[in-house]
Amino acid sequence: MSPERGGGGGRGRGAKKDDKDKKGERPRGGFFRRRRVCKFCAEKIDYVNYKDVRLLSPFIPERGKIQPRRISGTCAKHQRALQVAIARARQLALIPYVTD
Amino acid sequence: MSQTRQYELVYIVSPDASEQAVADLHTQVEQIVQRFNGTLDKTENWGRRKLAYEIGHAREGTYVIETITGTGELMKEIDRRLRVTDTIIRHLTVRVDDDLKVAERLRSERKATQARRRTARGLPPEPQASERRGDRDNDDQDDGVMGLEAEGQR
Repeated sequence: MSPERGGGGGRGRGAKKDDKDKKGERPRGGFFRRRRVCKFCAEKIDYVNYKDVRLLSPFIPERGKIQPRRISGTCAKHQRALQVAIARARQLALIPYVTD
Repeated sequence: MSQTRQYELVYIVSPDASEQAVADLHTQVEQIVQRFNGTLDKTENWGRRKLAYEIGHAREGTYVIETITGTGELMKEIDRRLRVTDTIIRHLTVRVDDDLKVAERLRSERKATQARRRTARGLPPEPQASERRGDRDNDDQDDGVMGLEAEGQR
């Protein structure tokens, strides 16, 4: 897909086979594209606005659950802010609680 | 005397309510705000929007967002009034002043750091329009990935 993926993903694929016995290696599969940087840090978003559905929607897969940090790559600080924003958006029926 | 703070009030009006009813609700809120010596800074009407899930058989609703500066008592009163209003199917009050202050501080800090670093390198403190983003603190690989992902999301 991109030169970056070739480099980073290559290690990911190699590590996948033996990630069970190697604890030091991060066990990341090749199913999701890896995002190395937090979206909010990279785009310098200081305030996670709960009314901005377009901002939040990438973090809510079809099922409606919040995407974990290990997949989205969001930093701890912004994941906390994201949690709150998603909770608020859910109350306002901007985002579903569950989809099935 | 309690402190004045900034709040954001979002309420969803039932789809059965007429435009007039929505306007009436807005004036009601405005009156309460005035009565408590608060100020209504901004009003935004998103209009009719589909709800992500049903709220009491309603599938859509009219979203209104009000930015209010006032005391906690004011918001308590508004909350109480909205709770008993049948045409309002959902409302939410969020205190925003602290969050906005933090965001503002981070932004100014970042700007100051940028200016300091740039002057240290003998550049004008503000980035010029001709400069490309990413020549400063990011490596080129990162930018490529971000660019691609942004495209993929659209």
